[in-house]
Amino acid sequence: MTDQIDYAAAPPIIELRNFRYTYLEGTPRASEAIRDVSFSIRRGERVGIVGPTQSGKSTVVDSFAHLLRLKPGQVFHDGEDVATPGYDRGALRRRVGIVFQQPDSQLVEDVVGADVAFGPTAAGLSVEETRWRVEESLDALGLPYPKYRLRYIHALSGGQRRRVAIAGVLAMHTPVLVLDEPMAGLDPRGRRELMELLIRLQKDRDLTLIVCSASVSDASLLCDRFIVLDAGKVVVDGPVREVLREAGRLAELDITLPEPVLCARELRKLFPDLPTAVLTEDELEAEVLKRLEVV
Amino acid sequence: MLELQRNVIFGQFIDTGSWIHRMDARIKLTITFVLTVASFLIDSFVGFALIFPLLVLIHLIARVPLGYVLRGSRLFLGFLAFILFFQVLFYPGEAPESSYLWRWGFLSISTVGLYTAGILGLRVIFLYYVTTMLMLTTSLVDLTNGLELIFRPLQKLRVPVNELVLVFVIAIKFVPIFVGEVERLARAQTARGVPFDEGGALTRARRIGRLLVPIFISGFARADLLTTAMNTRSYRGGRRRTKFRRLHATISDWLILLLVIAWVLLAWQLPDRLGA
Repeated sequence: MTDQIDYAAAPPIIELRNFRYTYLEGTPRASEAIRDVSFSIRRGERVGIVGPTQSGKSTVVDSFAHLLRLKPGQVFHDGEDVATPGYDRGALRRRVGIVFQQPDSQLVEDVVGADVAFGPTAAGLSVEETRWRVEESLDALGLPYPKYRLRYIHALSGGQRRRVAIAGVLAMHTPVLVLDEPMAGLDPRGRRELMELLIRLQKDRDLTLIVCSASVSDASLLCDRFIVLDAGKVVVDGPVREVLREAGRLAELDITLPEPVLCARELRKLFPDLPTAVLTEDELEAEVLKRLEVV
Repeated sequence: MLELQRNVIFGQFIDTGSWIHRMDARIKLTITFVLTVASFLIDSFVGFALIFPLLVLIHLIARVPLGYVLRGSRLFLGFLAFILFFQVLFYPGEAPESSYLWRWGFLSISTVGLYTAGILGLRVIFLYYVTTMLMLTTSLVDLTNGLELIFRPLQKLRVPVNELVLVFVIAIKFVPIFVGEVERLARAQTARGVPFDEGGALTRARRIGRLLVPIFISGFARADLLTTAMNTRSYRGGRRRTKFRRLHATISDWLILLLVIAWVLLAWQLPDRLGA
């Protein structure tokens, strides 16, 4: 786990203060997405933003990189208000990497290699450095550089396009990495590999990792902290285990719970004091065995 | 950041529940047709001035916010101004020598040119406004039903009316979807470092080019999906298709149609009579 004490004094890398957002505000088609959201994320944290559909997850994600019509005083990066006039949005977007829900939308070039190189090139890196980063990012995602470099993106499968999209963001070496539903459309093996990659990267590069999902199971192994959203408001915010203790409340919000938590909820009929904050099958087993021994 | 849906309202339906929204779609379509014809018949500023109160009346009854319509027409109006500018400069018709205000080679500004461009501009704006109001006040179901009923007699001539209407309605429905899609793409690409929200008009326009390939690809994918979905639900147009919602034209609907026709005739004929 990351040592957070070093950064405790620094301003949070991302902070939302009483963030409200309405799409198409002032028109008959206005729709309120965020009612009142406040939280701060420190450097090196691994945060899961979970909530059912329409809870405002994607809007919150877009706000991190100033992709909305933001008003001043709501979204801060490194203590600076990103909506102040003259704020360098380009620099902000080079520090906050976002992998969107639909990978196709963020692919800008036709060929895999060129697309992954887009970010580094736009940031003004040298050719050698760019090439190295492209190779590193593609290899990390299991798309060998020599084989995929010249492949035509739109001819790839959905899962492969998602990997290219992730590689394109990784190549930018952003200190903050945000993934919106990263596991959607991946098979179990792909999920496991992506999960392992993210955990490794987070440690190696000391990333601030933010994962959005409607499913707690994907995020629970990746994150230390959950921010639960519903209808544009924060419902719960705290360490993963604390949040999972309120499994009943999460289930009410139609959030998919991890398998062990679901089992624990069922088993509570037999052992009413069984905790629901169990992340893995092993932990569940240990808890159940403890109670069986007592009996 | 880019919120394109503010600037393009074509094809959208805003339900304010007004009296115009509840009118029979066939009557609304006929009125749109009458006004379309009117836009070609009327050829003087006085005529357009006479028809203008009718538009104001329609707008007041429909209760669609004016600011929304105006802002949503900005792109269109800008484009129109651009075209009219060249229309004036390259005015090809014969103009009496006295009407030239400025001349340079084949470029010129003449009062005749300005007058023609003015009328043309009003004509296009009028047409645009009428069709936009039809879209804003008529749901797609009503629009489909109305068109099908109006063109039903053509079925006897073996014209595939249902299919044609369906294609037309889907085409309109795709406009707002595409606008939303462009917005989503632009947002995602901005996150990757293509700054859609910065730079001058020309640089911005050039960046839009980047969106063309993905837009086309997603457009085709969407059309494919829609076809499959309709096939799996055994959709079939044609006379045997029954309707859940039936249209009913009331007497007031017919009266309104007559009123509009009378108004158009007045705006068309009165200026000539006055002039003569």
